[in-house]
Amino acid sequence: MKMKIALNPRLRLSPFVLVLLALMGIAFVVSMVRYSIGIGAISNLSNAYPWGFWVSFDLYTGIAISSGAFVITSLVYILELDQFRPLIRPTLLTGFLGYAMEVIALLVDLGHPERIWHYFIYQNFTSFLLAIGLYVMIYAAIMLVEFAPAIFERLKWQKLSALIKRFMKPLVILGAVISTLHQGSLGALLLIQPEKLYPLWWTPILPVLFFISAISIGLAMTILESSLSSRYFKRGLEIHLLEKLARGVPYVLGIYLAVRFGQLLLAGDLKYLFSGGLMSILFWLEIFIGAVLPIVLFSLKRVRQSPKGLLLSSIILLFGMILNRFDVSWFAVRHPDPLTYIPVFMKNVKYIPSLAEISVSIGIFSAGILAFGLAVKYLPVFEDPEKELEQ
Amino acid sequence: MPDIKQHAFLFDASRCIDCRACMVACSVENKIDMDKTRIWVAGVGLKGIFPRLTRATMVYHCMHCAAPDCLSACPVGAYTKRSDGPVLYDAKKCIGCRYCMNACPFGVPHFDYDKGLVEGAFIDKCTMCPQRIDNGLEPACVATCPTDALVFGERADLVEEAHSRIQAHPERYVDHVYGEKENGGTSYLILSHVPFAELGLPDVGTKPVRDVSQEVMGLTIPVALGWGAVLTGLAVGVQMVNQKKEAQAKQSVDVEVPSEKPE
Repeated sequence: MKMKIALNPRLRLSPFVLVLLALMGIAFVVSMVRYSIGIGAISNLSNAYPWGFWVSFDLYTGIAISSGAFVITSLVYILELDQFRPLIRPTLLTGFLGYAMEVIALLVDLGHPERIWHYFIYQNFTSFLLAIGLYVMIYAAIMLVEFAPAIFERLKWQKLSALIKRFMKPLVILGAVISTLHQGSLGALLLIQPEKLYPLWWTPILPVLFFISAISIGLAMTILESSLSSRYFKRGLEIHLLEKLARGVPYVLGIYLAVRFGQLLLAGDLKYLFSGGLMSILFWLEIFIGAVLPIVLFSLKRVRQSPKGLLLSSIILLFGMILNRFDVSWFAVRHPDPLTYIPVFMKNVKYIPSLAEISVSIGIFSAGILAFGLAVKYLPVFEDPEKELEQ
Repeated sequence: MPDIKQHAFLFDASRCIDCRACMVACSVENKIDMDKTRIWVAGVGLKGIFPRLTRATMVYHCMHCAAPDCLSACPVGAYTKRSDGPVLYDAKKCIGCRYCMNACPFGVPHFDYDKGLVEGAFIDKCTMCPQRIDNGLEPACVATCPTDALVFGERADLVEEAHSRIQAHPERYVDHVYGEKENGGTSYLILSHVPFAELGLPDVGTKPVRDVSQEVMGLTIPVALGWGAVLTGLAVGVQMVNQKKEAQAKQSVDVEVPSEKPE
């Protein structure tokens, strides 16, 4: 049986929380500098590298690791695999916080964060960035509604909670559709730079690859997050559930590999597999760490049934798939060659993120972890939702 | 030049003497800081062995594409393409996302990295001087060019002019007019005596860069509806199967009771 976490309404500042608060403080100060004297003051972004660490980490990684929410809700409400119900609230919470962190990060990265509302009045429907912005808002709202019963239960508003639960199935289907489009659109965002993105990555089916890999990331993220929170919050680990999720991973990754290599074959890009120097090395690294190794590990019953094996294997998968997101959005993007005469504003053609740039992302991530901790403390996240209703 | 249907530039790299007067003229005309010019002269340096040395420079600014990728990419529609050529940018709409910079295959739009919220950080790029061309004048860079390396006029005429220059001196030029078909055609045509790659010009092909992106975007609604239908069908199907199973389980438990009475 699961252990119930003690609901403690009093806040205690543990050293870990203090560290998180300090990191958030640093990010706050750095972003204030950015707002007063410009993005160039805190980042190494340039006219040759308009997008860098922030986009790769906050947008591409942040949205990818939020995909657990649509995967688990779909398993429970569409496929009616009721056994996974206990995993819904933690993954929804992770997903919602991931989206919220992305929006906060965007407010630092955008040149005009005060005009974010332009998304509602000036809309250019050929732009995948517009689509992504709208999907973020719609899906964050859907996740909030899907998670709302946890808040209402805490407030003892059982009727409202029951009302939302009645509409859960159509809501989950809508969420799954929006989420599919959103994950795919992140891949499609790079379709506009065919001559800049290395051919091992650029393909018209980039959105399909992003969607398939997002499912594997969602499964791995759910395993990771359940494993970590079972340790930190000293609650029982739902190992039998995680074992079942893990069983699905090799199938998803198998399809991913088939589509990926099939595409390279059909496009005639197989020649870049070994001739691309650093690009080929990056490709094989992400394929090996993100797909091949996890397929082997998650196929072994011994690995799937040990908490440590599950945790490590999911970390390996996430590491490889996050490398894929970094490759697509940063490492494999070729920028104009430095010419002999380069005007001042084109000078910075080599891009290495600055410490201040990274500290902003780390600060926002810390806020996310803190928010997760607080939510778990004050809301029935890990409790059995059905049980809570009966009380 | 109101009588012109499609305004265009023709740049002849073999005529450019690297004086950079165009940069100064542009900054003065458009009131831009000298370190943030909308036009820049890129040199490929000296090549070859003395005494046979060659040198080439390229005047680089917005290509004013017929199918602008920046316009396709901008989420808030800050870009417009005027029917007579210029690609214009509206700073009032811009949210500073810098996606246009990623989208432009020529790396043209640039951003104020040194300005905070109060000063306002904007994208900037060449506008083809609409304030001048609407009054019958050439853009500032063209008007100031001392060697006629830059000329301005009706696009169709300039394409013809470029080809006749190549025909007159085939030994001097690479037999290609860059921009005639590149990226679906641009309003900045380039002639060169060295390979175009040496001038820093990308090999973009004749199909507009934005095409694949827009075609995939067109699939959004069909994919959403199709996927929604599939998931709904799946959900309904699973529910029916589960209900049937439950009913069967119930039936097998109470075997004594007939499930239905014939009426």
